[in-house]
Amino acid sequence: MKVFFEQYFDFHIMGEHFGEVLEAFFQNLLIFLVAAIIALIWGLVLAVIRQTPGKGLLPLRFLTIAYIDVLRAIPLLIIILIISGGVPFITFIPKDIRIPEWFGKSDPFWYGVAGLVFVYGAYMAEVYRAGIEAVPKGQMEAARSLGMSHLQAMRHIIIPQAVTKIPAPMLNELISLLKDTTLVSVIAFGESTLVSREILAERLNSSALILTAFFFLVICLPGARLVDILIKRNQAKITRGAHIEVA
Amino acid sequence: MAEPQLRLKNVHKRFGKLEVLKGVDLDVDKGEVICILGPSGSGKSTLLRCVNLLAPPEEGEIFLEGQDICKGPGSGTGESSWNLDFVRQRVGMVFQQFNLFPHKTALENVTLAPVTVLGKSKSEAEEKGRALLERVGLGNRLGQYPETLSGGQQQRVAIARALAMEPHVMLFDEVTSALDPELVKEVLDTMRELAEEGMTMLVVTHEIGFAREVGDQVVFMDGGVVVEQGDPKSVLDNPREERTQKFLGLVLER
Amino acid sequence: MSSKTRLAAFLAVLLVGAVSIVVAGCGGGGSSSSNTTASESEEGTEAAGGAGEEEAGGEEEAATAEKLTVGSDIPYPPFEQGKKGSYTGFDVELMGAIGKEIGREPEFIDSSFETIFRDVAQEKFEAVMSAATITPEREEVVTFSLPYYLSEQAILVKEGSEITGLSDLKGKTVAAQQGTTGLELAKEKAEAGELRPYPEGPDADNALKAGVVEAVIIDAPVAKQQAEELGGIEIVEKVPTEETYGIAVAKSNTELIEQINEGLKKTIEDGSYTKVYEKWFKEAPPLEGLETAMKEAESK
Repeated sequence: MKVFFEQYFDFHIMGEHFGEVLEAFFQNLLIFLVAAIIALIWGLVLAVIRQTPGKGLLPLRFLTIAYIDVLRAIPLLIIILIISGGVPFITFIPKDIRIPEWFGKSDPFWYGVAGLVFVYGAYMAEVYRAGIEAVPKGQMEAARSLGMSHLQAMRHIIIPQAVTKIPAPMLNELISLLKDTTLVSVIAFGESTLVSREILAERLNSSALILTAFFFLVICLPGARLVDILIKRNQAKITRGAHIEVA
Repeated sequence: MAEPQLRLKNVHKRFGKLEVLKGVDLDVDKGEVICILGPSGSGKSTLLRCVNLLAPPEEGEIFLEGQDICKGPGSGTGESSWNLDFVRQRVGMVFQQFNLFPHKTALENVTLAPVTVLGKSKSEAEEKGRALLERVGLGNRLGQYPETLSGGQQQRVAIARALAMEPHVMLFDEVTSALDPELVKEVLDTMRELAEEGMTMLVVTHEIGFAREVGDQVVFMDGGVVVEQGDPKSVLDNPREERTQKFLGLVLER
Repeated sequence: MSSKTRLAAFLAVLLVGAVSIVVAGCGGGGSSSSNTTASESEEGTEAAGGAGEEEAGGEEEAATAEKLTVGSDIPYPPFEQGKKGSYTGFDVELMGAIGKEIGREPEFIDSSFETIFRDVAQEKFEAVMSAATITPEREEVVTFSLPYYLSEQAILVKEGSEITGLSDLKGKTVAAQQGTTGLELAKEKAEAGELRPYPEGPDADNALKAGVVEAVIIDAPVAKQQAEELGGIEIVEKVPTEETYGIAVAKSNTELIEQINEGLKKTIEDGSYTKVYEKWFKEAPPLEGLETAMKEAESK
């Protein structure tokens, strides 16, 4: 039992490496922010394309559905490894894009962001879709009969209402995204998991990992609680029956 | 007589396997108020949605001010899009469920389409919107959100909203059916004023009184076809067809 | 797509996937028996798999068929490589030779290098044979055998690179394997612009080939092997670090470490060490240097 505590809760080691691990954790947060913002936008684009009507757009809609299905079916880790393992070799892409070094962040960061955006964009598209489908059909009818095009109706009427219905599931996706930033460690990006494992190898002690877990806990636990609160509030709204919605 | 403003010829509409409209003919002159009655499932609402191409017909022709609107992309023939705009900017619709935009104020509901579709400036649209809302008696509620308005008030905003696009024809789809009885009158009054100003109106309704007093023609539909039509007095007081009689008997007994 | 078509497509994919997994499984040969060392021994090793009857009566001579579990981070060519059931490499075969001397057949277990010392200390396996450098930090946790290999680090770069040595690494992107002394060296001396610790050695070499990193610091024999096999990369400098490799066991296992040391010495005496060495490194072993290192270690 003593060994257990020594292995996992050696506060000296935690103290010595605290700054190091915290700084690495900021890298997780950074990847999270960049990937989250891009994925939120990308997911919305996918969701809108997916349900824009018109015969001519059928191939595009089909591609979007296929993309969403495939990217939710392949594990994120594999996607990240595929990107980082293959893209540098695709020589017809110019080197600046192939091996990015943008804004002071080198390639593992951007491969990680790419993987996260591709996969989470797909999940978020489905969340948006649920929100869009939850908007009463009469809204689209009214907008269209006033002369708005499909896209105009989406922009002014449907999407603004859809996003008010999805904070809970979207927040879930974001929490999941934050945790999945740890996967970028496999392509040698210096985030907190990687750093903790190095400390593990150096000091033969897992306390740094516990410290990392603690950092995640501090952020994700309140996040999960917030989701619960949002869900409860939404239920109350529905049962209160705010709107006149006669069947 | 001049060409009717709206002419429907042999209109058929199918939803999947179910044929809802089985060949409807109708002529509407400018300024006429046509009241459409009939049991549920007779195709009344579908007919309205054909006219503004929300549910374009598979067969038949619809002429609006001389143009065959079924030859646009709404009918699936794949030609250029001007017919859809042509229709939607001349035909306004008011729904049973109001369908106001809940995230916009009354004034914003009214000004949104003129700004985004017609390209009017915000101030121009607001000026017009204010006037319209006053006209329907809601000049003091410009900044309120739909959820703070009563059903009757919401429906009047919906009428103002449709009028903001300066339509030539207005479609009313059972607009009082979802209202509490005491709120019905204010909406019907607004519609009456509109009729007196000369608006061409197609009104699907159960309000027999309104049909009698305001309607120029009454059309009775059942099973996807027009069973009987004529001026209100003849149809409502002396229906020729048995189906009409049955329906009216049922309705008037209430 | 109608929901029927979609269901059909989904089931078709599922069926194809299931069939291919079954076919692959059958074809792969169900015989993943024990991870016996694929050494050149045709001499029937006494401890044929599964025949573990004897009680503790027999000593080194008799076949105590009890396997010697050995943890190792595979692959790390040319020290350990191959698939489960047929591991090979210098470490694998040398351990096999030592095992023969002490009458126990080694069974290699693939592990992650960064936890390997902690694992053997907690007796997850009995020994570690994984191109492991003997360091004071590690000696706090495990006991090392006498050195069995003299090593140094090498710097790998892409062919045609301007980098000629350690000093040129300043400000560049340098890769190494997590938890290795190569990484240590990089941290101390390279002054790299960015340091990339990869989970496995070959990952670093791949990154080098892809042009994602500019240099890799890794054990010299491994570097040599990777340069030959991957092509397009070359060693530009060998950095002598006076490192020696040892076999690690738990501190409490004093009996085993003595056995291993004895066994190691015997393999050097009877020439089996040289045989294995020449097979994997294509040059004669530096026996003198090795013996000096061993004597030094013994006198500590």
